[in-house]
Amino acid sequence: MKSFKIFMAIAAVLPLLLSTTAAMAQQTTVDSALLDRVSALEQQAAEARPGEDHLMVAGVVTMGLVTGKTTNTLGGVVTTNRTSSFGNADTYEFSPMLLWRHGDKFLMEFEPSFNNDGLGVNWADVSYFAAPGLILRAGYMVIPFGIYNKRLAAGWIDKLATDPIGLDIPNSTDYGVEAMGGFPLGNMKWSYDVGVFNGMQLLPDGELQGVGINDNNINKTFSGRLGLLPFSNSSLELGVSALTGKVGDEGSPFANARANMYAFDLSTVQKINPFSVNIKAQYNIVNVDRQNYVNPGDSTQTYSYNNHSTSAFGVISLRPSYVDDKVLKNMELSFRYADYIAPANSAWGSNTNQVTEGLAYWMNWRTVLKLTHETTNGNSTVNQIIAPATGNTKTDYWFIQFSILL
Amino acid sequence: MGILITGVAILLVSISGCFTSKEVAAKTGVQLWAENCSRCHNTPSPAAFSAEQWKTVGMHMQTRAQLTDVERDKIVAFLSGK
Repeated sequence: MKSFKIFMAIAAVLPLLLSTTAAMAQQTTVDSALLDRVSALEQQAAEARPGEDHLMVAGVVTMGLVTGKTTNTLGGVVTTNRTSSFGNADTYEFSPMLLWRHGDKFLMEFEPSFNNDGLGVNWADVSYFAAPGLILRAGYMVIPFGIYNKRLAAGWIDKLATDPIGLDIPNSTDYGVEAMGGFPLGNMKWSYDVGVFNGMQLLPDGELQGVGINDNNINKTFSGRLGLLPFSNSSLELGVSALTGKVGDEGSPFANARANMYAFDLSTVQKINPFSVNIKAQYNIVNVDRQNYVNPGDSTQTYSYNNHSTSAFGVISLRPSYVDDKVLKNMELSFRYADYIAPANSAWGSNTNQVTEGLAYWMNWRTVLKLTHETTNGNSTVNQIIAPATGNTKTDYWFIQFSILL
Repeated sequence: MGILITGVAILLVSISGCFTSKEVAAKTGVQLWAENCSRCHNTPSPAAFSAEQWKTVGMHMQTRAQLTDVERDKIVAFLSGK
């Protein structure tokens, strides 16, 4: 009987002992999992802390198809070339942009670009946010001249598939330093953007090209833009730009040649129910001091002409943003006219006008599909005594383009 | 150079501080977002980037559109959900 009581006691205690041991083992397992989880969360929290530095990738991808024909008429002879290809300078670009913010004062921007010209760099610069209204920048950047190249050229911003003609002078990007800022002025607002750059090089025929990183002379080119937004809702911006600099090679007959350029721009966005109306315009003037240029037909001879050119564009876009239809409100119709007047009697150039119209469909705020049609008409201004005539050239192209902000 | 920058900075801050109207000063981040971003492109969705990314984007856009510092800060705060 005593043995039975002992057995019963053990039988009663044993499950308790076993369950306690199991519970302890389970507790150990739970504690371990909990600690692992806490450790992982701590690591995530450490990684999520803002810190002082921040690196991100933005940029733009643009691709598409261009198809059309070019017709040249010279001395009564008409020649036509047809083309259809995926991509050219306007319809293909893969440009991831690295933005590296170091604290609140420094921003590094670097945008490599793969396009029709191969692999290049759109800009690579460092900005220092020195004080309210004062940003200093150095490196390779878009120069402050007009509004198109700095603000409107990106494929995900431009509502048409092409750039307007005549904006390649002055060069859109250059090496230099820049200061900029914006300020309120009562109900208005104004901004400045000024810089010093390597500038351009005057070629023997009077054309201009960017010099790149190695300046061709010891002088620097100054370029700047002043902007005024006269209304408190920032719906209108007026800008005036100026650029001046010597463009001749050091020690060459062009050493004292100076280029002076001016630009006037306008930008407005208005609500005219049910449309959002967007108008942009820019007018450029380019003057180069009169020089004796090398005759391309006889390099021992020189010739001269008034090296003055102008270019202009105006674009209007209509988007029915305030209708209820979800498809219709994402469509945008655009019409652009551009014009380029070349120097008369040079060995190059054509007076050209360009008409571009297009329909864009916004898949979201930063993704767009465009259908664009563009015709250009160029009449040669070449002095036929010194260079062969190039006649009249007409182009008629269609573009299908997709663009997205990364 | 430092003195020059400081002097220019003080001058610019003085100018900007003196001429801000009450109407402009009272503008909210969402107002400034709607008014300024659309000057060049569609207004971005706040969901497109994180708060830290918006801070970086805000600095980038200030160099493009010459936003005032107040505009940049208010727009970034709105887009960051603050």
